[in-house]
Amino acid sequence: MKKFTRVLSVLLVVAVVLGSAGAVLAQDKKPVVGVVLKSLANEFFKTLQEGAEKWAEEDGRYELNIKGMNSETDIDTQLTIMDTFISLGVDMIVLAPADSSALVPSVVKAQQAGIPVVNFDVRLDADQLKAAGLEDFMFVGPDNEEGAYLAGMALAEKLGEGGKVFIIEGNPGADNAIARKAGFDKAVAEGKLELLESSTAHWETEEANTLVANLLTAYPDVQGIMCANDSMVLGAQKAVEAAGRDDILLVGFDNIAAVQELIKEGKVLATVDQFGAEMVQMAIEVGQRVIDGELEPVGWEKTPVELITIEDLE
Amino acid sequence: MNDEPILKLEHVTKAFPGVVALHDVSMAIQRGEVHILVGQNGAGKSSLVKLLTGIYFPDGGEMFFEGEPYAPKSTFDAFQKGIRVVHQEFNLLPYLSIAENIFLEKLPANHGFVDYGKLYRDAEEALKLVGFNIDPRTRVEMLGVAQMQLVEIAKAVFHNSKVLIMDEPTATLTSKEIQTLFGIIETLKRRGVTIIYISHRLQEIYEIGDRVTVLRNGEYVATEPLSSLTVNDLVKLMVGRDIGVAYPFDAEAALGETVLKVENLQVQGGKHPVSFSVRKGEILGISGLVGSGRTETVRALFGADRSAGGQIYLHGRQVQIRSPKDAVRHGLSLLTEDRKSQGVILDMNIAVNMTLADLAKVSKNGFLQQQTETNEANRLVEETGTKTPSVEQVVRNLSGGNQQKVVLGKWLFRDAEVLIFDEPTRGIDVGARYEIYLLLWKLARMGKAIVVVSSDLDELIGISHRMLIFSDGKITGELDRDAFDQEKILSYAYEEYIR
Amino acid sequence: MIKSKKFINFILQEGGIGLVLLILIAVFSIAAPRFATVTNFSNIMQQISINTAISVGMTYVILLGGIDLSVGSSLALATILAGKAITNPNLPVGVAIASACLAAVGISMLAGLFNGFVSVRWKIHSFIVTLGMLNMARGAALQISGSRTIFAFPAVFNRFGTMTFFSVIPSIFIIAFVLMVIGHIILRYTVFGRMIYAIGNNEEAVRLSGHNTGIYKISAFVFCGFTVGVAAIMYMLRLNIASPILGVGFELNAIAATVIGGTSMSGGKGSMIGTFLGACIIGVLNNGLLIIGLDDNARQMVTGFIIVFAVVLDTYREKLAKTQKE
Repeated sequence: MKKFTRVLSVLLVVAVVLGSAGAVLAQDKKPVVGVVLKSLANEFFKTLQEGAEKWAEEDGRYELNIKGMNSETDIDTQLTIMDTFISLGVDMIVLAPADSSALVPSVVKAQQAGIPVVNFDVRLDADQLKAAGLEDFMFVGPDNEEGAYLAGMALAEKLGEGGKVFIIEGNPGADNAIARKAGFDKAVAEGKLELLESSTAHWETEEANTLVANLLTAYPDVQGIMCANDSMVLGAQKAVEAAGRDDILLVGFDNIAAVQELIKEGKVLATVDQFGAEMVQMAIEVGQRVIDGELEPVGWEKTPVELITIEDLE
Repeated sequence: MNDEPILKLEHVTKAFPGVVALHDVSMAIQRGEVHILVGQNGAGKSSLVKLLTGIYFPDGGEMFFEGEPYAPKSTFDAFQKGIRVVHQEFNLLPYLSIAENIFLEKLPANHGFVDYGKLYRDAEEALKLVGFNIDPRTRVEMLGVAQMQLVEIAKAVFHNSKVLIMDEPTATLTSKEIQTLFGIIETLKRRGVTIIYISHRLQEIYEIGDRVTVLRNGEYVATEPLSSLTVNDLVKLMVGRDIGVAYPFDAEAALGETVLKVENLQVQGGKHPVSFSVRKGEILGISGLVGSGRTETVRALFGADRSAGGQIYLHGRQVQIRSPKDAVRHGLSLLTEDRKSQGVILDMNIAVNMTLADLAKVSKNGFLQQQTETNEANRLVEETGTKTPSVEQVVRNLSGGNQQKVVLGKWLFRDAEVLIFDEPTRGIDVGARYEIYLLLWKLARMGKAIVVVSSDLDELIGISHRMLIFSDGKITGELDRDAFDQEKILSYAYEEYIR
Repeated sequence: MIKSKKFINFILQEGGIGLVLLILIAVFSIAAPRFATVTNFSNIMQQISINTAISVGMTYVILLGGIDLSVGSSLALATILAGKAITNPNLPVGVAIASACLAAVGISMLAGLFNGFVSVRWKIHSFIVTLGMLNMARGAALQISGSRTIFAFPAVFNRFGTMTFFSVIPSIFIIAFVLMVIGHIILRYTVFGRMIYAIGNNEEAVRLSGHNTGIYKISAFVFCGFTVGVAAIMYMLRLNIASPILGVGFELNAIAATVIGGTSMSGGKGSMIGTFLGACIIGVLNNGLLIIGLDDNARQMVTGFIIVFAVVLDTYREKLAKTQKE
């Protein structure tokens, strides 16, 4: 497996070099932006990639070179991509790190080579950055906690005080999973809800389905379920439906197409849009402002999150 | 020269269930001599080596090494005391360097880290002792057979082995390599190393040997200076007497037409094509030393291993046999030498094993007819005289003889026309052997054509109509029953090795 | 003393896994009153269905001493093809559903054929071949779907998926059960099943008895592919989506069910009933541990421990069986 991924990364590097060289030759006037994404297997990143490509086409100011890998945890490949972008001498790198610590040395290397790096989506580890001499390195990205809080509050308002809920978490240890859990917790506290159980379904539909079905047995008096992503909403909703419970309200996160359908049918209360399609564009624009000297590259440049309910979809 | 023997055996006995490997063997090896050990297959040479190197432990008798009682607990123990074997199959680790292999038992270490400097210096030293000029960093997989042997010898010599046992060291060497090896043996002898040398090649032992000991059926026969014996004398000493098993042989039975004819069958990697034929009702014995090509020939005939060419005729019609499936379809069967790993399915029951070669007979539309299967298996158990409480019995729980009957039952069920037996009585006790012979004869009378490969010469003489003798991949002799003679057969068997 | 030891031996040899299952059910029933309810058993049946279906095929492969790591990815690929077919607006609903079933079963049997053929023809261990297929099928699923989840299946299809018989037995459990019974019958009562056991025990002896063992090995992988294809349809019935990222880790669940059920990883020994009980144990554990209120981490630890314990029990059983014969 290890070997296989290694071979893949080598192929990938060759592809990046050839692709970029071709691009540079073809239109050498435009500044080149290297975009490092996480898993292209993930629908969210796919949306992100397509949104970025569409924007670049229309906007016409930048030449984008977008690379990602096939699994969310493939750090090796991301490191190789970073190295390749540095040796190609791109004009800017926007990075969605697969690991908040492991990518820090690569970022330092790029900065030293004079390539500005914009960190988006997942925030690089602050201590690690500080140790590397990049204190308070700028981060562009959505406030996952705020998004989850919005969804949680939407649920709390419907249920009223004392409403009984589950939280279905993402992968234990993942930054966005932690942030979303914190947002849900905040909504639970503020809306004075009763949290019956908080468990992980590892972002997965089938697992969420099994988990929620079993939780419904253990806690039949549940009234609402907060899921840390929309894939899990799909599984949770099927479990609720199979149990014949049309009184349980669900909220999710990500605003994927399948969940939009469910919201329209009234089977899901709300989800959260973090404008993935525009995220790369926002990161690049922030980067440009830094290059132009309009912005100090510190702090958190928040990108918008928005609650999506049936009113937004009609 | 010290007159006291370096190694002495007194009344040593080693038995296995059903077989006595060594019986009351007493012999002595002198310090610094090249002592040759000869005997037919199963004479007890390998058992003797295993006793000396701590793989087997004697059931009776005593061994003495340099005057002290000698009872090695393991090969490592024997090696530390100074006795070591250079095996036919080398015990080298192919992906390690020569140096690492030589010092594998005790790598020179420095605080737990291998001291490579010392390792390579010592290895060079060791290789110099056997006159082998090569970088000790070379990986063993890069070496040829003769070179690997040199590494094994270097390993033994450097660790000051006093007795070096060589088991068929020339079996895979070219004549030039053999001469180099003999040169090294001379050098070792001058350094005072005692060598026990085992070989089928009766000619070459005269070039290097001082004295020779002959074993036969696990018993000591004689020890003589080689200079006082001719090759013919040696063969005479090796010929065994009848050990008293009765062989059923029906001289009256008539033989039918030729069933199987093999022409120029070429074994993969073999040197010579072989041709022979078997008739209906005939038992054809195939004799020869282990490694003479007997087993390889019957396996190639059956399609178990790929053959490199030749024609096979059944009732005069040429057939193509590329796999056991083809062979079975044409009415051939093979009872393999290794019963447990190739003949039976140990953990399945008798019925399953016996019907394995012809499941069509016990099934309808792909579904097994369990009642039919049980009935058929019961019939076969009776026919073969397999002793078992039921056909549901797992084969692992049967004795060797009964397992062999199960295999036989499998081929009877398939109604095979040509039955090839490779060592049918190996590891089977005397009583059960007799039953197997009776079964063979019953089959012959039923009109089957039978080929029996065996290392047991008495057995072949007892049961065969005709005998082929293989020597180094070639048929060197063919004898009819009335011309069977132990001495003649042995001289054919050794023919290619004497040359 | 002797009598009780004999009894323990009998239980260990003949009913070890079934007993473990009964004990688990008893313990959970006592510990959590909500466990032993019709609805909960219905849920468990629903939850073990997919794993049961895959494990039926996996049992054949493991009985031959092989392994199939590609089942999860093949399942994802099968749902994608089936999802494309079933959501095709140009097809009448009936035709769309039928072609979805054909596509799912067809593609996963094709993957099985590849696994079997390559491992037999070039004598490569199926571990490696199916590891390759795991990546190939996943990549193909992502490529074909454009990484998107497919949804909005015909209503009649979705309705069948949530249907229960006698308001207890979920429709997909019936599919899994039928598959298991078919797998059992083939294994026990046909020449093909006999050959699977025989080859798993001693391939060389079978070859020298005049059989083409390769054909049987390839067929076992194709059969495993068939069960994966059926499982893919079951997945779509249960969750009404098709996604290229689903099924991750399914192979490990199926291997666990098979091995807990007493099938030996070195082949030749095991049964379909055992595999089914193995799948039940995993499902009951998953459900029961949650209902008695264990948190995520504790559940994971206990499940892991039970899997190891079941396999230890299995080797102990094997040893017992051998010593008793001697």
